[in-house]
Amino acid sequence: MVMAKLLIVDDEMDVREFAASFFRKRKIEVITASSGEEAIRIVEKDGPQLVLLDIKMEGMDGVETLKRIKDMGKKISVVMVTGKKPDEDGTFEKCRELGATDYIHKPLKLEELENVVLRILKNVT
Amino acid sequence: MNPYAIPPLITEVILIIIALLVFFKSNTSRINRIFILFSSAMALWLFGYINMYLNNNDAMLALRWARIGFIGIIFIPVFAYHFIVAFLELKRRLVLPIVYLLTIPSLILSQTDYIYGGIKRHFWGFYPTAGRIYIFFLLMFAILFTRGVLLLISHINTESGIKKEQIKYVCLAFGLGTFGIVDYLVKYPIFDIYPFGYICALLFNGLIAFTIIRYRLMDITVAITRTGVFVAVYTLVLGLPFAAATLLKPWLIGVFGSQWWMAPLVLMAALATAGPFIYIFLEHRAEERLLHEQRRYQDTLKQASVGMTRIRNLRKLLDLITHIVTKTVKISYVGIYLYNEESNSYVIQVARDKGRMPLPTVAPANPLVSWMTLKREPIIYEEVKRKMQDAISTVHSLLEENMRLLTASVIIPCFLEDKLLGFIVMGDKISGQIYTPDDLNVFQVLASQAALAIENARFFEEAKEMNEQIAQAEKMATIGTMADGLSHQINNRFYALSLIAGDTIDTIKLTDTSQASPEIKEMISSINYALNRIQANVMQGGEVVKGILKYTRKGNEGLEPVSLDQVLDGAIDMLQYKIKLSEIDLVRDYPKETTPRIFGNLVQLQEAFFNFIDNAYDAITERKVTLKEEGFRGKIIVAAQAGANGSLEVTIEDNGMGVKEDNTKKLFTPFFTTKTSSRKGTGLGLYVIKKIITDTHKGKIAIESAYKKGTRFIVELPVAK
Repeated sequence: MVMAKLLIVDDEMDVREFAASFFRKRKIEVITASSGEEAIRIVEKDGPQLVLLDIKMEGMDGVETLKRIKDMGKKISVVMVTGKKPDEDGTFEKCRELGATDYIHKPLKLEELENVVLRILKNVT
Repeated sequence: MNPYAIPPLITEVILIIIALLVFFKSNTSRINRIFILFSSAMALWLFGYINMYLNNNDAMLALRWARIGFIGIIFIPVFAYHFIVAFLELKRRLVLPIVYLLTIPSLILSQTDYIYGGIKRHFWGFYPTAGRIYIFFLLMFAILFTRGVLLLISHINTESGIKKEQIKYVCLAFGLGTFGIVDYLVKYPIFDIYPFGYICALLFNGLIAFTIIRYRLMDITVAITRTGVFVAVYTLVLGLPFAAATLLKPWLIGVFGSQWWMAPLVLMAALATAGPFIYIFLEHRAEERLLHEQRRYQDTLKQASVGMTRIRNLRKLLDLITHIVTKTVKISYVGIYLYNEESNSYVIQVARDKGRMPLPTVAPANPLVSWMTLKREPIIYEEVKRKMQDAISTVHSLLEENMRLLTASVIIPCFLEDKLLGFIVMGDKISGQIYTPDDLNVFQVLASQAALAIENARFFEEAKEMNEQIAQAEKMATIGTMADGLSHQINNRFYALSLIAGDTIDTIKLTDTSQASPEIKEMISSINYALNRIQANVMQGGEVVKGILKYTRKGNEGLEPVSLDQVLDGAIDMLQYKIKLSEIDLVRDYPKETTPRIFGNLVQLQEAFFNFIDNAYDAITERKVTLKEEGFRGKIIVAAQAGANGSLEVTIEDNGMGVKEDNTKKLFTPFFTTKTSSRKGTGLGLYVIKKIITDTHKGKIAIESAYKKGTRFIVELPVAK
């Protein structure tokens, strides 16, 4: 069985570090990216199965990154992470159209995050 | 028939008409009554003499008529003197009774030849001749006349205002009447002059009647000037051609032949056309000179009026108006009253005074206000007083009394379109002169300009206030937008904290600490506990942020059916972070199933009710802190029932401190707040509620409150079909 590979994309260092630490304890390979551009490079090169994608980032935002990733045509699940409260500007719809697998709101408990990630990876691997 | 009888006859008729006019003006005033008596004496005199003229062929009959006429003549000086006494309001004197006593012997002697010895024929008809005692009668007449006139003159300077002017007119009348002496002189053979005394009598009566009937007299100097100029101009217009026709007749015939009379006629036509213009020109020049002083301040006032509208500061404007008026017109007192919306009365704004305390307010029900609103012109105290004395109607005594309370000599209303904005109260002129019709005209101009200027100034002040309010509201809106961005940032921090703590807790869970020393185990346990506490705080922080976001969220304008429960739930949701809901009893008093749904905007209604309950809570807290009652428990009841026109009537009732009655009206104005504690709100809460209820939902809101007992808001909201 190939080891699950998870890409965490967030411009916050603490978020990347501690989320990564958490999932590594569960025998998941974790790569991190701090920007949309970096994320795309990694997807091309390393091909993770799941991407945790923060929506609000400097430079290329999450929605744009999602589009680019999906355009690559690889089989890859993308979970959007947003700080905004219940969808105010149709971003949810947009992401769904672009093919996002799930859409979660922060702040959320680590357990919830764990559930989402493990559920999706189980289907994939 | 003797044609010379006609002029006196005409005079008699006119005198009777004048007397009737005075009678109808007022028959209760003492002065009027005496005047009528006086006119009757004259009428009797003329009646006798007319008949004397008519009986041109019978000397004895003529003499008898003359003697009848004399009965009237006896009373002429008596009544005239009495008139002066009454007019000047002098105390009962000795002279008058003596004079009346003297009429008795006069009456007895009148029918003998001691008074009229005989009768003589002149070119105009018969005329009596003087008897032996006649000279004494003349003496008495002269004494009374002189004494009367001296009394009048001495009072010119002691009186002021319209009385002063009237006395001047009466003096003039006596002056003109003096020429009537010719009638008496003709009774002596030396003087063979036509007795034109009746003309003087006519002028005399006419002028006196005019003085007592007219309430508003023009300045006597103006009256004389105008009359003088008129007479001069028309004498010229008629006299010149006439003189030309008589004196230059031969020369004219020489030049123009049989049509010579055309020349004077043409001259008359030309002069008659030019007449009015000459009159106006001369009149103007004359008045300029005479009224120089008055014109000066009238011009100043007019100029000031125009400049007034540029002043934007209300206080400065009012000060300016009073300053101008006192300085230019030289008055003893000026006060300006303006209508105040809140207190529904006319309140004194500014007063220039010599130490008197002006009346602070005037109610709209005051007769002066109603009168001014009706007539739309100035009220003059002296006029009102005279009308009151003439007992025309009771309203005048009310006006007089009120004007006295205001120490007003003149009140000038300031109208803006149909509304009485206010009025200017003026005291007497320092010089004691009357307010002439010219004065009043200028004042009216001043008043209407003042009304405009005042409205202008008020408008600017309101606009300034409104701008300040808008600026404040914009600030609030900015804060609202900022809250959005800020809360997002804060959420990010919470997320990071959550992950950090969470992951570390996880690591501790997964690590095998069984081999560790008791101290290490203890430390790890504490760290674990601490991290859990951090998680809990982070969660709570997240909820608070959610609450803020809910509050600042821009609700859309759309309306939909929402239940009262939904509204209250949302409001309470937000409230739990601001107030301690556990300290009060919040009761929902309405049947959940049958209460109809409200047709409204959920977000805005939640905001409104958030404010209602928040305010109620503050009121309860204030009561607790101020009154410190044992066992007091705050209670808020939200009830609902069917309202008018199929609406839903929701009441929010609390048992807090309540609001004082004068504040209930102001409650809904923005920035008004009675909160005394440090938790002072922005004062926008109720204003926002009002906007939501009345503007967005087209509903109604009312407040009932009893100080120290509680408050109830009654809200009417539309029901969803």
